[in-house]
Amino acid sequence: MLVFPGDVVKDVKSVKGVTVLGPGVAPDGSTVRVTRAGRLHAKPPNTYWVEHDQKRYVPKRGDLVVGIVVKKSGDLLKIDIGGSEPASLSMLAFEGATKKQKPDLQVGDLVYGRLLNAHKEMEPELVCVDSYFKAGKLGPLSNEGFLVTVSLGLVWRLLEAENPILEAVGKAAPFEIAVGMNGRVWVNGRSVKDVLNVVRCLEVAERHDDRTVLDFCKQLK
Amino acid sequence: MQGPKPVQLSKSILDMKFMKRTKERVLKEQEDAEGKAMYSNEITDEMKKSGTIVFTETSIFNCRNLIEGRLSFGGMNPEIEKLMSNDYTRKKQEVEKRKETDVSDAQMAQEYSTLVNTMANKFSGKKNRNKRKFIKPSEDF
Repeated sequence: MLVFPGDVVKDVKSVKGVTVLGPGVAPDGSTVRVTRAGRLHAKPPNTYWVEHDQKRYVPKRGDLVVGIVVKKSGDLLKIDIGGSEPASLSMLAFEGATKKQKPDLQVGDLVYGRLLNAHKEMEPELVCVDSYFKAGKLGPLSNEGFLVTVSLGLVWRLLEAENPILEAVGKAAPFEIAVGMNGRVWVNGRSVKDVLNVVRCLEVAERHDDRTVLDFCKQLK
Repeated sequence: MQGPKPVQLSKSILDMKFMKRTKERVLKEQEDAEGKAMYSNEITDEMKKSGTIVFTETSIFNCRNLIEGRLSFGGMNPEIEKLMSNDYTRKKQEVEKRKETDVSDAQMAQEYSTLVNTMANKFSGKKNRNKRKFIKPSEDF
């Protein structure tokens, strides 16, 4: 359903008195109001959000993002995650890091981290470990890869479980990828040509539907 | 009637190395309980004032049920692929299962209705044929 800012969402359902609001909707008293023009989505039982084309990233707690180190000061790193303000990342928030043994990160390096805290009025905070102090998929990204910026809509599309694009690209050539919810995508492959092929696939995906991209992937072989 | 008091683990046991996960869980439960006690008054007041709905914010990641974006294909990074097998592969399988059942549900209805017809024809046909045989000719002939 197409909605405009100021519209009131009708028939808001809640479970045990709780309603979950995603981007684009905000509570107004006991009603829910739309704050952006776009398509209203609802996921049963109690989740509502508005989607539209966007490139601006608004940090949200729990997001996995690709960030660039912009400043090093003592134990703290300042990371550009594409939001309104750089995020802070403690050097101790890496797996196995101690006061004496810190990760080797320079200005300009890339990290894949989770947003621990992203409040409107506060500096966002990144971590590269989970609650068991294990890195898992998080941590510094190697310097061999290539970074591109895509629209947020493409990120959401790529990360849908049913989306076949990444798998199809993987069949053409081995590659690894870190897709940040902030629209930054880091790609690494065995050769420069492989990496560029992946990047071209992303460029095609930005403007065309899945089927066109899959055809394009087949041509790469 | 009050139920039996929940069993609590002593602090020294929780400090043991292998109890790390349990300790985390217990701590979280404690914190939750404290938080509930602290905010229970405020929430009920607010709920009374503004209807009964409490709103919580979330990222689009949870709204659309997306997968984590650190992926590897074709053996580029075996470490990541091992981690992927936990969530990525499972989500993929779920989707495929859903697709399969979706299709078979629709097909099932169609197939079943045609099946019912053919079976009905099979039985009714014979009987009808038999009945036709046994209908007496009208007296006009």
